Amino acid sequence: MSPSGALLLVLAAVAPAFAHHVGAYVPTDNEITTNFKQIKFSVQAGKFDVALRFFETGPLRADMRARAGSLPRGLEAGLSAALAAGDAAEVERRLMVFFAALARDLALDAERRTADPQLSHDARAAIGARFLEAIWRYYNLVDFAVAQRDDKTSVAVRLAFDEAAGYAKGTAAPAGLREPLARIAQVLSVLIESSTPARRGS
Amino acid sequence: MIPASRTPVQWRVPPVPVLLTAVVLIVCAEAGGASMVRFKLELTRWARNAMLARPAVHGLLGVRDVDERVLDEALVKFDAGLRLFHLHAEGMGLVIVAMTTVAATLASSPASRRPIIALLTVGGAGYPLGYLLWSGLIPYYGLERGKTIAEWLVWIPFGGATIVALWWLAGLVALRLWHH
Repeated sequence: MSPSGALLLVLAAVAPAFAHHVGAYVPTDNEITTNFKQIKFSVQAGKFDVALRFFETGPLRADMRARAGSLPRGLEAGLSAALAAGDAAEVERRLMVFFAALARDLALDAERRTADPQLSHDARAAIGARFLEAIWRYYNLVDFAVAQRDDKTSVAVRLAFDEAAGYAKGTAAPAGLREPLARIAQVLSVLIESSTPARRGS
Repeated sequence: MIPASRTPVQWRVPPVPVLLTAVVLIVCAEAGGASMVRFKLELTRWARNAMLARPAVHGLLGVRDVDERVLDEALVKFDAGLRLFHLHAEGMGLVIVAMTTVAATLASSPASRRPIIALLTVGGAGYPLGYLLWSGLIPYYGLERGKTIAEWLVWIPFGGATIVALWWLAGLVALRLWHH
């Protein structure tokens, strides 16, 4: 065998060394989404006393309080009252408003940060992708509730999200991210507005 | 059933330094596994603090909802690196013992036996350390850069050495079978 043939053989033999098992990561719930699921499943099971306890002692309520300035007035008190009254539809609506607000605030923040001209193309795309992941984590929880009330809003958010994800993954200018992010924020703002108790007279 | 005319193989023990290397590797695997459990909280806290001290490396943005996912993934991989070290060090210790025994017994020529045993020992003992190195690098260099460093410093050279030695040994054993 020639030396070059032997070298090729060795390289072919060593090729598997370029692949290593480094484990897999499956994103998990954070404390807010976990608490949301606790409340939601308790409500679905008709255990409103359990749901109320999860709400009163859980991080979701603490987060609602911390973000009170950017949430519709009375959202927390209304949710607490709905749980105490055993009103499942109202609980779902208020939780939907809360998570829509979380997603909207993230979309606004993402829009601002991806507009920073001092950041490189890759850095802006990476920031956009991370924000989109966080937005979807929250919006995904209430998309069904949104679609039940207003399927156009649900479709609009999904389309804008897909468009933004395309910009974040692709080679196109990350400046393109801003428009769909702004659309997500705008559509969710309208949803929150139209679902607030004051507008509904509840 | 082995034919009566065939001479039974007389198994030969590999050199003592090779066996010592394998045993020490397995001891490290067990000590590493036990330490992971004993110091899980301290290790996680250390890694998290080291990552928080280097926000640019990990792309942390100061937004809890975004950063927690990044930190969580890095901590899961940090833990996975320690687990994979434990697993590979145990496994490669046994691979060294088994394969160098085969080489010591069946590779009759010292010209091939010595390099095969050396490659198996060095490659087998070094490869698992790549996982330990990767875990240690994650908080300082991030997931991908840490992985690249561990790959080029440890996984590719040591893993490659082991693979070359195993193919070489497989070829020798096949050749021996052919001649018999």
